[in-house]
Amino acid sequence: MTIIEKIFSRHAGKHVQPGDYIWTDLNLVTMRDFGGPNVVMEYRENFGEHPVFDKNRVAITFDLHIPARTEQVALNQKILREFVSHQGVRLFDVNTGVGQHIILESGLVKPWDIIVGTDSHMNLLGAVGAAGFGMGTTDIAGALYRGKLWFRVPETVRVVINGTLKKWVTAKDVILSVLKHLKTDGALNKAVEFAGTTIRDMTLAERITMTSMVTEMSGDIGFIEPNADVSTFIKSRAGQDVEAIAADPDARYEKEYEFLIDALTPQIACPHSPDNVQSVEDVAGTKVDQVFIGSCTNGRFDDLVIAGQILKGKKIAQGMRLIIVPATTEVVQQALKAGLYDIFLSSGAVLTNPGCALCTTGHAGILAPGEVMVSTSNRNFIGKLGKGAHVYLASPATAAATALTGKITDPRKL
Amino acid sequence: MIIKGRVWKFGDDIDTDQIYPGKYLPLTNKHEMARHAMEGADKGDEFIKEVRPHDIIVAGKNFGCGSSREHAAIAIKGSGVSVVVAQSFARIFRRNAVNIGLPILELNNVDTMKKGDILTVNVTTGEIKNITQNQVYEAAPVSPLEMEIMNAGGLLKYLKQMNNE
Repeated sequence: MTIIEKIFSRHAGKHVQPGDYIWTDLNLVTMRDFGGPNVVMEYRENFGEHPVFDKNRVAITFDLHIPARTEQVALNQKILREFVSHQGVRLFDVNTGVGQHIILESGLVKPWDIIVGTDSHMNLLGAVGAAGFGMGTTDIAGALYRGKLWFRVPETVRVVINGTLKKWVTAKDVILSVLKHLKTDGALNKAVEFAGTTIRDMTLAERITMTSMVTEMSGDIGFIEPNADVSTFIKSRAGQDVEAIAADPDARYEKEYEFLIDALTPQIACPHSPDNVQSVEDVAGTKVDQVFIGSCTNGRFDDLVIAGQILKGKKIAQGMRLIIVPATTEVVQQALKAGLYDIFLSSGAVLTNPGCALCTTGHAGILAPGEVMVSTSNRNFIGKLGKGAHVYLASPATAAATALTGKITDPRKL
Repeated sequence: MIIKGRVWKFGDDIDTDQIYPGKYLPLTNKHEMARHAMEGADKGDEFIKEVRPHDIIVAGKNFGCGSSREHAAIAIKGSGVSVVVAQSFARIFRRNAVNIGLPILELNNVDTMKKGDILTVNVTTGEIKNITQNQVYEAAPVSPLEMEIMNAGGLLKYLKQMNNE
């Protein structure tokens, strides 16, 4: 069996196959400041003050519009805070960061778990062997009530990546090159398993970058078999032993793709689709107004270290805005200790509080018509960051190099 | 259940920002949300002005891709659209549609259908008749589990029944 077939079989209490529709229990139900208020209103409308299925298995994370910037958002957050005090569920407030990263850091995620939330990038939890699913408000309201939901068991495709990454070529470049081939519907309604020598040696941050962008291939979930370092991290956070998870050697995959990345160069997704991927060299020189480094895809400490290596002792280009947003407060503290804030601030960057940041127009730093941004986030849909704006997706290395020159820049050519 | 309505045609990869632009995410009132259905899509303005109850959306592959916003399915249902027929649906949109009782069908060949065509759609069997073009198509209905949820009036009513049993 593949990893998702094993997880669903265990939770459903029977041997499941791709295409089966099943009900399963859930380990954790989450919602955020966006979507969450609608969940609460729908829950109240249908179930009144009925206690949630298990208050210890519910977490609310504030990560999108934080702190509140409009009266409507303030009201939405108030609805969630009231729900927290009535129901006794856990709240990670505006001071914490990106929800999935927060629950990972807080030990609420383990391999084999099934976790749902109102965020389309919940599936990045596959980076530690947990099945995370983004859901709509009705699903989450139902999950809060019963601790159960229905699923279609997806087929699994296997993406094998072998080879050694060259300097300034990162996990982001790998996943963009995968997207270039699989396209935005390449994993539609499928689970993805990443394997191969490149993947095996990846850090947790790199694994998160890989699995987070399975959403952009329309995949249900992307898994990476945890290595010793990942298991140690989860064990230390969860305070308990971690059960290993891996696909069976005879697991059946619907398709297998193989990539050899020894010669891979920095990649960039051009407007307005994450699969419109080219080599950075081929679009180098395009004028850029703003650079964003952060998001659930590239907001970890390791990502900021890469940006720091490039920005150290240098100033960003005249007229450039560089916005850096660590994924969580823990990452902020790591970056502070490592001296990265000094480097960033001296270079001319703006640092804002941890969260999802420039993934939607909800955050400070949105663009004017005609402006161009290079972002380390995962989406560049038209209009997502301002009407008439153009967004490119790239690695923290390419983003930092671009901030220095004011033009799309291959970090190897600096 | 048989539905009769006229076609609004959309292309491939209609994402949730086209169905329901992100700037309206703070809205929580379903009627207000419905006024922005398809606003970000090509010819979205025309749709908003002219959509009528029972109308049918016909689209290409990967309809509803992008974010998890249920607003997308809610807005479409609220606009009066009676069923969405697409080559394929993104997972979250499909779930949301089932969970709120917005009928959906998968149909491989949507190319010949034109804007304004009158269809009758049998949501249970998947039979679609194009009255304007005098054609019949066999679409794939949803699974029995999904049909049960839709027949119960959506996920929350279904779960309530489950709890009472």
